[in-house]
Amino acid sequence: MKRFGAFTALKTMDLEIRDGEFMALLGPSGCGKSTTMNMIAGMESPSEGRITFDGADMNGVAMGKRGVGFVFQNYAIFTHMSVYDNLAYGLKVRGTPAGELDRRVKAMADFLQLTPMLEKPSAKLSVNILQRLAIGRSAIVEPAIFLLDEPLSNVDAAFRAVMRTELKHLQRQFKQTMVYVTHDQLEAMTMADRIAVMDHGVLQQVGTPLEVYNDPVNLFVADFIGSPGMNLAKGMLADSDRGMVVDLGVLGISAPLEPAIAAAARKQAARDVVYGFRPERVALAASGAGLAMPVTFIERIGARTVVHFGDGEKRVKAVFDNDVAISTGETAHIAIEPGAARLFDAATGNAIRGA
Amino acid sequence: MSSFAIEEKHSVPGDLTTPETRTEDGGRRLGFMLTLPAQLLVLFIAVFPLLMQLYISLTDWSPLEGTGWWQAYELWNGFANYTDLAVDSRFWDALGRTALVMLICVPVEFLLGLGLAILFMDNFVGKRVFYSIMLIPMMVVPAVAGYMFFMLFQSGGPVNDIISTLIGRPFVLAWLSSPGTALVAVMIADIWQWTPLMFLILLAGLVGVPEDQMRAATLLGASWWQRFYTIALPKMKTIMIIALSIRIIENFKIFDTLFIMTGGGPGVATETISVYIYKVTQQDLIWGYVAAIALVILVVLSIVVSLAISRMNAAKEA
Repeated sequence: MKRFGAFTALKTMDLEIRDGEFMALLGPSGCGKSTTMNMIAGMESPSEGRITFDGADMNGVAMGKRGVGFVFQNYAIFTHMSVYDNLAYGLKVRGTPAGELDRRVKAMADFLQLTPMLEKPSAKLSVNILQRLAIGRSAIVEPAIFLLDEPLSNVDAAFRAVMRTELKHLQRQFKQTMVYVTHDQLEAMTMADRIAVMDHGVLQQVGTPLEVYNDPVNLFVADFIGSPGMNLAKGMLADSDRGMVVDLGVLGISAPLEPAIAAAARKQAARDVVYGFRPERVALAASGAGLAMPVTFIERIGARTVVHFGDGEKRVKAVFDNDVAISTGETAHIAIEPGAARLFDAATGNAIRGA
Repeated sequence: MSSFAIEEKHSVPGDLTTPETRTEDGGRRLGFMLTLPAQLLVLFIAVFPLLMQLYISLTDWSPLEGTGWWQAYELWNGFANYTDLAVDSRFWDALGRTALVMLICVPVEFLLGLGLAILFMDNFVGKRVFYSIMLIPMMVVPAVAGYMFFMLFQSGGPVNDIISTLIGRPFVLAWLSSPGTALVAVMIADIWQWTPLMFLILLAGLVGVPEDQMRAATLLGASWWQRFYTIALPKMKTIMIIALSIRIIENFKIFDTLFIMTGGGPGVATETISVYIYKVTQQDLIWGYVAAIALVILVVLSIVVSLAISRMNAAKEA
């Protein structure tokens, strides 16, 4: 737990990061992800609770002594030094013998393809070289864990994909445990082995990118992950002759729930629920079938087309292929693919899931 | 370790080629015309007095002649003033004394100012109050500071009283009338008054050191001293050179505080170059000679400062 005066930046956090893992801390700004990072690095100390590395308590261990590599948002390259001196810095301050220092710096430069620019001043390098240099500078002292604080946020959108690939590549090569802080779910999804979703200082869910996407544990994760986020409609559970369904008011009655979800809902004696489904799992249906909805807005984003149906309470987003034959103003019939429905308790926001 | 292969030639966003600068003659001429009044003013303020000084320094002119300065050519004596200067032991003594004061005061002010600036990087109770107090000496009129220290260093004054209390027996020293200690007292006054300026400039320099680079160094295992020496110091080089240049120039011209405290005495024990020039100007009234002295000083200081500036440019490029 971390408090700043009366403000509690981080309330509940119980996260185990495995060796060699690429863990992304994902959440909107102010969710406590940077605080978590700074506490791992030792720039801040927890008001309550412990941080352990391989079982050893790190509270009170100075940040220079933790074996933490940190890549800053702007890389914090020592701009008054050459590339060589940047790489050598960590070894130099530890008093590494000159011969070994030179050998290790050259090996690292070779590995990162920095050899041609070793003697260049580091002030005028391009962003991807800065990223490699920042990683190399930290990696050369062989830290136990690598922390990256939104390193791609200053980079042009077009260039980010290149940088992401390169970063993931480096992580695999080094077999290095990395914690990556970001508010960009695309970065988290593409690079991370596991994602820790955070909000308001509380860890919401930890899981692989697919787990977090497919089975969000609560409404926050359902809405935050995915672009656009999950369709969420308020409703009431009702029994029908086909099994348990959700009465969605203006959106009608849902298809029968999967037996496992229905059983879980019955067990919890839930009544007011939120019915969720991914926009990607919405399909066009033959006229007469499914739900008739007016098309209000179409976003064409290249490979895919996001279609907004209805308005107000009666609103559904859907993602189709880019060549979908649909235009604003017409009425389309849509259906939710089987197995796409997720159920949340309206009171607690938590997912109602079968075992 | 195997090398990982990602193509090297990513085009870097934002790395645009510099747009062609416009250098058409018409634009240049207009620019010249627009800045002409200002250039003339600068010429009049800076260059004209310099030429006038050079002219007078080549003559034996004095206001006592009763002729205008422009008629000084009637008393033309070529480089006689400069050859006189070369063998003027009082001039060389004064120059040496000035250099001594500078070589002691400026480093002491620099180190004290730097130390204080480092202390002020941390947060402590009453920081703002201390900060304001710190800057007071700098704002005291030098003449007033001179009187303050004149009183402090009297043989029955507070400085001797404090020393007496500390050592437990009466301590009487006529600071300002003993040749050995008068210069020390003058230097203490200068340090008191001008350390705050060093502090202020160096604090600005320290604040400007990128915090994330300092943190990065910490995380790489650098100690406080290593961080200071390898990160903060190189980043502050430019501002340090500026601070030192300002103080070297100003200290070389030390006059007002000193003149009120000792008047250059006892004898010539605290006669710095400014005091010497003052005396020659006001008492001996040989202005041709004064012009020659002042010009030599100007040349010496210019050399010192241009050396400092070239160091600064070298630091900037590194």
